[in-house]
Amino acid sequence: MQRSFRLSGHRRRASAGALSASAIVALALGLSACGSSTSQSASGAGSSSQKGGTLTIYDSDSTFAADPAKSWSLAITSMGLLDRRLTTWKVSSNGVTKVVPDLATTTGTPSDDGQVWTYHLKSGIYFSNGKPITSQDVKYGIERTYAPALSGGLNYQKGLIAGTNGYNGPFNGKQLSSIQTPDAKTIVFHLTKPYGDWPWVVSTTSMAPVPDGDAPAATFGNHPVTSGPYAVQSYTTGRSLVLVRNKYWRQSSDPNRSAGPSRIDFVLNEDPTVEAQTLIADGTAASDAFGADFVPPAQLAQIENNPSVKARLVTSSASPLEYLAVNLRSTKLHSSKLRDALEYAINRKSVVVASGGTIAATPATTLITPGIAGRVDYNLYPASNTGNLTKAKQLLDQAGIHNLTLTLATENDPVSLAISEAVQQSYKAVGINVVLKPLSTDAWTSLVTGNSASGYDLALTSWQPDFPSAMDNIEPLFDSSMIGNGNFNVSRLDDPAVDKLISKAQGTINPTAANALWAQADRAIVATGAVVPLVYNRNSFLRGSNVQNFYIGEFPAYPVYTAVSLAQ
Amino acid sequence: MKLARFLTLRFVGMIAVLLVVSFATFVVFYILPADPARMECGHLCTAGQLRQVRAFMGLDKSVWRQYLDFIVGIFDGRTFGSGKGAVVCAAPCLGYSFQQSRSVTTLIAQTFPVTLSIAVGAAILWLISGVVAGMVSALKRGRPIDRALMTTSIVGISAPSYLVGLLGILVFGFKLKLLPTGEYVPLLQSPLQWAYHLILPWCTLAFISAAIYARLTRSQMLEALGEDYIRSARARGLRERRVIGRHALHNVMIPVITVFGLDVGTLLGGAVITEKVFSMYGLGALLINAVQTTDLSVISGVTLIAAIFVVLANFVVDLTYRLLDPRV
Repeated sequence: MQRSFRLSGHRRRASAGALSASAIVALALGLSACGSSTSQSASGAGSSSQKGGTLTIYDSDSTFAADPAKSWSLAITSMGLLDRRLTTWKVSSNGVTKVVPDLATTTGTPSDDGQVWTYHLKSGIYFSNGKPITSQDVKYGIERTYAPALSGGLNYQKGLIAGTNGYNGPFNGKQLSSIQTPDAKTIVFHLTKPYGDWPWVVSTTSMAPVPDGDAPAATFGNHPVTSGPYAVQSYTTGRSLVLVRNKYWRQSSDPNRSAGPSRIDFVLNEDPTVEAQTLIADGTAASDAFGADFVPPAQLAQIENNPSVKARLVTSSASPLEYLAVNLRSTKLHSSKLRDALEYAINRKSVVVASGGTIAATPATTLITPGIAGRVDYNLYPASNTGNLTKAKQLLDQAGIHNLTLTLATENDPVSLAISEAVQQSYKAVGINVVLKPLSTDAWTSLVTGNSASGYDLALTSWQPDFPSAMDNIEPLFDSSMIGNGNFNVSRLDDPAVDKLISKAQGTINPTAANALWAQADRAIVATGAVVPLVYNRNSFLRGSNVQNFYIGEFPAYPVYTAVSLAQ
Repeated sequence: MKLARFLTLRFVGMIAVLLVVSFATFVVFYILPADPARMECGHLCTAGQLRQVRAFMGLDKSVWRQYLDFIVGIFDGRTFGSGKGAVVCAAPCLGYSFQQSRSVTTLIAQTFPVTLSIAVGAAILWLISGVVAGMVSALKRGRPIDRALMTTSIVGISAPSYLVGLLGILVFGFKLKLLPTGEYVPLLQSPLQWAYHLILPWCTLAFISAAIYARLTRSQMLEALGEDYIRSARARGLRERRVIGRHALHNVMIPVITVFGLDVGTLLGGAVITEKVFSMYGLGALLINAVQTTDLSVISGVTLIAAIFVVLANFVVDLTYRLLDPRV
């Protein structure tokens, strides 16, 4: 966790339970070469949801952030059980993930210019304390995220809501005038700019309603009042989190959560190896359980040879993108022919092997994650999976580049190192010497997201969007405003044409038109040679034999907790 | 009088060591590339928000001032912010984990009983088994039992606790289904379950540590048995049991107690691997998680507590020395 997990962007942890989804690039703990057979990605899906029973979730995380303001959980994992937001995600076992209404009646009605969004709340929605949920509660929940004590969550809304400069939360009595609540059922957001992805932003976990005026920053997370199908019965750091039914929740107002189990026990601080062994053994307790952590390599190999266990393994198709950022501020990389040569020379087959084989990764040539609407598959640098060395050498000759040495900054966990070595070997084959610079996660982050562009020519990194919009694959990584200051434009790409496309796509409200622009941006960025897409990582999870509706959609690469039920 | 002077000097020394440790930890962690305010500010944090968070956490002050706030907080508690948005860290405040929304003192208080349970049981087990094995080996020198015990001790010394723990879980937990594979049950909740769940961690730690004690006891015992005073004791016609049990063992125990004290002190600071393998959330697991998530206040707080245990253990060892060996 922790685990030799690997992260990307927002540097958080890797089980899907209590944690961050964001940019976790949860590489499956260095999945060993487990052969080429693949697991289905929708095991246990399709059964109708049965009610009752106690579901156990093993989780290597030792803490649980139950205050929505601080949560990095995905909309459909642990916090999806506890809280509702204006919108949520519809994840099916095949097809793209969609944004759908949750507390609201629609996914939002934009003004003509896309800068004002209006929502109306459904009727029959209640908190776990029995009080009806009003628009003021939604507003208060969002205002809380601006308090310094609660600022640690996903913050997509913060820069988008108008008039928030210097605002530090509702605790001193100040409210945001840019969020209007004309009546108890209506909420209107005024944004700083037109923003087509606003329905996705209001689906993030930190946008959950919180009882107005009754949620102190320091203590609410210990006894949260929830809006989803479950409420917290008890929580002991490092031991357990027990969820029981929220008796005021109504299925009629919430078609997106099946709320099967009567009770859900999170067993925290589990060792991932012991967790996997417990699930493989499938004893009385484990048959009603699943693991929130990736199955470690050794157990994955063990499972590969055991069909009855393999039937209970669920592997995502493809998700977090592992890529090589090419530092455009490095004088060594100013030649576009050299950058093209780097694209052609990469041996993705060896990167797949280094990642743990085909069960852990699949080759990538584009930026937008599979399963996200609007993704277009393409390969601007046609080559086999082992690369096109002839073409690469030709380009290097044309550019007159010989005896080049490049520094590759990488995190020092085993999987990152293995992938970096694969990259090193790929480039050695065309005469480029790559020197590895292995760093701790903190030092690596500080180097590649800092204001100085020196210290690396290439950087190995990975990214998973926080919500399934192509925007989140592109803007945080390639917009010029995201260079330095702790942001993740690691390639330091500063291209006015790309910025313009990003801005245009963000301001396009029609999803189809916006998606076409994002696909165009994807292609335009790869064409600059600022990034060499390597692989999409795959995550594997294991369930007990009595667990039903345990599946992973095309996005995200995590099980849908809100659909899981137990056979009765 | 001599004892009072000894105690006073030692006490002053201990406080000095702890101040140095706490300051060093504090400085080391605050000059690392990790910025606690940046981490607490969340994703997509703007410069303005970062300033707010930094001021709220008190990180906009000088390192000296921050250290002073930390020390004052131990005696007087700390409050970050004001009103309903305030975060209060009651005295003795060893820092506040904004990541976990808990004071470090609370986190330590929650996790210490786990570590203490593991440490006490394991220590008793390894001390007894190690010393007994060492004595048997020494008295049966060269015999098969000596060889068997010493070979086993080499395995114990060389095996990583992670491997021993996992093997224990695999054999006794999954195959034989005799013992639970982990999870801590509080003593007050059920003393029987408490002990039942701790058997494997105790045995794992004892197996690894007892090996060192067995070898130490054996070599000390062999050395003692060759000493003049043992020969004199035998010559005076004392019974062998008394010669070994009273005269030889007395001297053997001096180095053993030294090592034991330090080991227990270190262990109380967290049985990192064992806690992790057996899914027990003690000080070690708390620390390792804090390292992984760069939760600096937890790292500083736990390091200070661990240092206190080591310093105290040293002190107790020195006191015991005086009792065992009046020459000191």
